[in-house]
Amino acid sequence: MEGSYIPDSEPTTRTLLRRLLDTEDPHTPRGRQSTRASARRTPLETPFSMRLRSQTKTTTRRHSHGARSIGRLAHIQTSGRLKEQTPRTLLENILLTAPESSMVVPESALKPVPAPQVVQSPSGESSRGSLELQLPELKPPTTLAPGLLLALGKRKQRLRLSEFQQGVDQELPLSPGPLTEPHGNAGASSLTSSLNLALATPPVPQSVQRPGLARRPPTRRAVDVGAFLQDLQDTSVALALPGDSLRTPVATLPTDTVLEDTQPFSQPLIGRSPNVRHSLPCPSSSAERTVGRRTQSSGPRLQNNSPGRPDQLLVGKAEEVDALAVGFPNTSNSSSGEDGLQPLQDGVGEEAEDVMEESLSMSDEEEAAGAQGSARAEEPKTHKEGTEAEGSWGATEAKELEGPSRDKDTAGRTGSPELTSITLEFQQARQLEFLEPAQPTSTAVGLFRQQSIPAPSLPPEPLSARRPPRARTAGPRLRQDPYKTGLSHYAKLFSFYTKMPMEKAALEMVEKCLDKYFQHLCDDLEVFAAHAGRKTVRPEDLELLLRRQGLVTDQVSLHVLVERHLPLQYRQLLIPCAFSGNTVFPAQ
Amino acid sequence: MALSTTVSQSKRIKRKAPRGFLKRIFKRQKPHLRLESSCDLLVHLNCLLFIRRLAEESRANACKNKCGIIKDQHVLAAAKVILKKSRG
Repeated sequence: MEGSYIPDSEPTTRTLLRRLLDTEDPHTPRGRQSTRASARRTPLETPFSMRLRSQTKTTTRRHSHGARSIGRLAHIQTSGRLKEQTPRTLLENILLTAPESSMVVPESALKPVPAPQVVQSPSGESSRGSLELQLPELKPPTTLAPGLLLALGKRKQRLRLSEFQQGVDQELPLSPGPLTEPHGNAGASSLTSSLNLALATPPVPQSVQRPGLARRPPTRRAVDVGAFLQDLQDTSVALALPGDSLRTPVATLPTDTVLEDTQPFSQPLIGRSPNVRHSLPCPSSSAERTVGRRTQSSGPRLQNNSPGRPDQLLVGKAEEVDALAVGFPNTSNSSSGEDGLQPLQDGVGEEAEDVMEESLSMSDEEEAAGAQGSARAEEPKTHKEGTEAEGSWGATEAKELEGPSRDKDTAGRTGSPELTSITLEFQQARQLEFLEPAQPTSTAVGLFRQQSIPAPSLPPEPLSARRPPRARTAGPRLRQDPYKTGLSHYAKLFSFYTKMPMEKAALEMVEKCLDKYFQHLCDDLEVFAAHAGRKTVRPEDLELLLRRQGLVTDQVSLHVLVERHLPLQYRQLLIPCAFSGNTVFPAQ
Repeated sequence: MALSTTVSQSKRIKRKAPRGFLKRIFKRQKPHLRLESSCDLLVHLNCLLFIRRLAEESRANACKNKCGIIKDQHVLAAAKVILKKSRG
């Protein structure tokens, strides 16, 4: 029952306790109380709960009596006895005793010592689960021997402590019972206090030992960054060591698992954490893009090279994770392993960038001459397909499954062809970048041609080329603004014509009316032009409109209106007038 | 006071027509149609007349309600009438 209980409790009670212990001063009794409360929150089995309550009552009584240290000792002993029955009772005792132990400050240096013992002993019996936090206090009697055995040179202090504890325990058993103990052990209170100190603190070191559990959110972030870096690294690895690319055939076997990994990893690339950008300058960002695009764009053409990529990366990643897991058996969790991976990847990723740049510049000319010409011609089509497929990740997954088989062929090649192929991928991906912004415009293909040609020659260009889309994204906002300003211009005219103060809400209403008015106007003009069999709106249409609106009448001609309402410069453009040289402008 | 919500009558106005704005509006609404060279000026004239009518109507509305300030309901009531009048 406890085994099943562990996973649930880990996120809730343990983390809570740990946070409390980590953040708060161990000396403040409040934190202890809160921990106590949280500990009680943990679902306790009913049979033991009664006993627990009774114990707590007794402890409280003792506290009230004032024989604190002695009471603690008694608790420890009792807990030691009861431990075989229920670890939870022990926990409760510990929690109760904890505040007093926290009073002693200087022992804080010893905190880390007891924790490892605790961790190791539970490794044998995983049933401890959530209780491990506070158990350390109770454990020493039983787990002393394994603790000593397992603890290596690093824990000399611990050994001392254990000896200490052993001594205390031996003393304690001598005392007849918890009730009589207070009197008998009064002399040993100093020792016990020190002991309690060491015992009470363990939760903090525990968190250190199992970082994955305590810091889950940060680890996730780390995974994202790590994935990105790994992608970079793997590309670099493939470039540097053609032999490494032989892994890809291996990738085919675990593709399912690998692909499962791809989604969580590849998505974060889009919403990248900013620090990555800082750490990795321009080329890295471009590489990111390419990687991200590769996963997204699954055009048939690109698949030959690109889909295999992520697999490679992932395989490499998995291998690394395994290696790390072997290295640190304690961190069996994948999350913790990747946590450890991160620093490594940081270093490797930066190297990868450099390699990438070099290779790109090297192989640019070759590709430009040969293979790319054909590839480019087909790309526009492939890109469209890619954009279609972008929406669904599942589709890309399915296509990626096909990828590895093709990738085998590429892997089989020697080093130099691989280089070229990789660089090809990069440039294709880049061109895809170009295409995607360009596509919305109707002349996507033409733009693509123009952009694709300079792309290979200038490796740093992707950065400059990537900016235009941003500007375009900002464009629509700007476009809306002029419309508003134009409407507000007429709204100002409205406020001039009213010759009265008006509310702002009224101005907004006027703008709404203007919007409607322009809609009607355009519709009317379209109808008039269509009726006349034209596709061009001519002044006659507008005159007709004015006439239908009742503005132009037999008494008031259009020219009169123009003269009345428009400034002279516009009147010159609208009303035909004779100029020198026997000319009439505008010509009728 | 309600000064912040009211807009005092503007003393000076620009008489220049926002020709680019007018052309763009038309192009956005009817991308398949073409506006001849000086038609945007006539559109501007039409718009000016519409605004003038609307202003006079809303002013009359406000005066009818004995309001010193034109409120949005005045404009709304005027717009109902004027938009109907200015149908093509």
